[in-house]
Amino acid sequence: MFWLFTSPALLAYLVLFVAPVAYAFWTSFYKWDGMGDKQWRGLRNYQVLFEDPYFRGALVNTLKITFVGGSITFVLSLLLTLVLREMRGRLFARSALFFPSLVNGMVFGIAAGFLFSPSGPVNQALGLLGIDTPPKWLATENLFPMILGTLVWTATGYYTSIIMAAVDQIPPYLYEAAELDGANAFQRFRVVTLPMAWDVIATCAVLWTVSSVKIFELILLFGGSSSATPPADTWNTALYVYVQAFPQATVPRLGMATAAAITSLLMITVITVVLRRLLRREPVEN
Amino acid sequence: MGNTAKKTGRLVALAAAACVAMTLTACGGTSADDAKDGGGFTYWSMWREEEPQAKVLKAALDQFQKDTGITVTVQWTGRDVSKKIGPAIAANQSPDLWDQANDAIFGATAQAGQALDLSPVLAMAIPGESGTVGDVIPAKYFDMMPKDPAGSNHYVIPYEVASAGVFYNAADADLGTAMPSAPSTWDAFLAVCEALKAKSKPCVASDGGETWLNELYFDGLLNAGGVDVAKLSADKSGAAWDDPAVLKAAQQVEQLVKGGYILPGYDATKYPAQETNWALGKAAFYNNGSWVTAEVAKQVPAGWKFGSFSVPGARAADAALFGFAIPKRAKNPGPAQKFIAYFLQKSMLSGISTTAGNITPRADIPAPAELEAVQKTLSAGQVRMVFDGVAGDWQPKVLDPGYLKLWHGKTTAADFVATAKQAQISFWKTQS
Repeated sequence: MFWLFTSPALLAYLVLFVAPVAYAFWTSFYKWDGMGDKQWRGLRNYQVLFEDPYFRGALVNTLKITFVGGSITFVLSLLLTLVLREMRGRLFARSALFFPSLVNGMVFGIAAGFLFSPSGPVNQALGLLGIDTPPKWLATENLFPMILGTLVWTATGYYTSIIMAAVDQIPPYLYEAAELDGANAFQRFRVVTLPMAWDVIATCAVLWTVSSVKIFELILLFGGSSSATPPADTWNTALYVYVQAFPQATVPRLGMATAAAITSLLMITVITVVLRRLLRREPVEN
Repeated sequence: MGNTAKKTGRLVALAAAACVAMTLTACGGTSADDAKDGGGFTYWSMWREEEPQAKVLKAALDQFQKDTGITVTVQWTGRDVSKKIGPAIAANQSPDLWDQANDAIFGATAQAGQALDLSPVLAMAIPGESGTVGDVIPAKYFDMMPKDPAGSNHYVIPYEVASAGVFYNAADADLGTAMPSAPSTWDAFLAVCEALKAKSKPCVASDGGETWLNELYFDGLLNAGGVDVAKLSADKSGAAWDDPAVLKAAQQVEQLVKGGYILPGYDATKYPAQETNWALGKAAFYNNGSWVTAEVAKQVPAGWKFGSFSVPGARAADAALFGFAIPKRAKNPGPAQKFIAYFLQKSMLSGISTTAGNITPRADIPAPAELEAVQKTLSAGQVRMVFDGVAGDWQPKVLDPGYLKLWHGKTTAADFVATAKQAQISFWKTQS
């Protein structure tokens, strides 16, 4: 009976997930243009990957997005949680915060060219505040920080909304008790909100980690154009895979692309497992 | 419990292996031998249905079907056709005819030996005309292309030609005074920039992050110095960068940057901000492909007259071809070839100029007014592919990082050359 009921799910999982990954893993040991015969390369693709400074750079960028972007996002989300729980008009504030995550990331990539141009609305607004020499937002060296900023901005509202949903479920008497004990707003956050919402926060952290590795279109649109890929120092692993699989005017290097994808998959698996271990704790209350 | 887990694990492994085997079978194609001339063919187009080129092609396809009784199944795929063609060929589901830029066709199919040699098409008579396809398409367009593994460069039959050049408004009075005729040397070009600067008019428009466009200057200057970019990029030792001509080209770019001839703020804008500024007359020149005239057609004020020249000193004009190709595994190559010859009739092909506003490879079809200068440059002398056909990630990994710094005035020509040389050595280590 067990197999009868599990087999449909298992089969779907195998066909839709395990098989493609296995196929990609297998391809990563070959040199293949996607059309002709495969040539066995063994581990050479992986060796070449780690010799390529741009792949190492892509790994670092991916980790930067995950950890730097993630830290900023979660610190902001938790700060907002602290404020939102106590403030008036919080339903409106929550909707406003959630809004950016509804908009497709690509829109920001395209709109940035207009918003942050030297004579664009952002600089005009700064000019009104007396800042006459604003940074060169769209300069090549600022590209990656801009991408990171946009990611944080869109993700913060999203995770705040999820964490707030958990915070709403915390019984008010816990806060009242804390208040009677003389706890201030921050102490209430630390001893009530944080532990009570911890499981949701931990799940959010995993969600962020997994989604941060797959970020792709934002970088492509921020830095790329119709005639060129984004500057190589803004690539993350997803973009590296894309450039190998769909190079401009030359044959695809699918072996390298899959090797990069598998490396990225392994990295994210390790990070997720470690993160789960670190964030796991016994439930406070049943 | 442990036992069940072990069993499950084994089962998963087995099923995965089975799936991989199944996928393999699906991917293994049959040979092209079963190709035959049927009553029709399929065509995947690089154009989307609403584009003017699609309208021209559609009219021709309709007429072709009426005239020959051959049915054509068209998919208006768009530019991504070059990404879809490979998997389609692998699955033996390829169309019989497709079109793209010559470098995209080379990269997606011909380089891997998956494009049909279209030499027989060149020998085909054009319906209603006395000549053959080979008579109306100048051989120099084929000669500039890299050869496929079988040694052919006839894997694409072009119907549209584009070129990169420095574009300007020939009706601009200030520019007319500063530049009585198109400059033939880099120094003459800089003199024009200097004269414009005296009138406080910026010379060159550029979006700082647009590597491909900004590198067109360097590409042209290398060509002027007799450097073949393809050979430069292929040198695994990096020693090709020590050629004094390479340094000279970089120094010439540096002159443009350090002279302050580029529209201020260019290092902090995103395409197409500066293209728009150029179209509004805020800078005199803009180096881009000949498609730029169509891109800014609606922005330029009335009275604009497009002029253009190749990067001063360049020995050959840049050319990019858009044309038809047939995958080797196509099932109906015969009728597809017939259509290629049919479309190259003067009466059909003229639509590319009159309706789509572009240049055709036929010298007897006049280019639209705004591209007259480009057509003249193309027909006058030698042609070559932009960057001599360098493709793949050499540009993003070797050329772009250093070049952007040079273009933004953050490094010297000598440093740029040294950086690029090192980048090229490490690049080739990762290409084996």
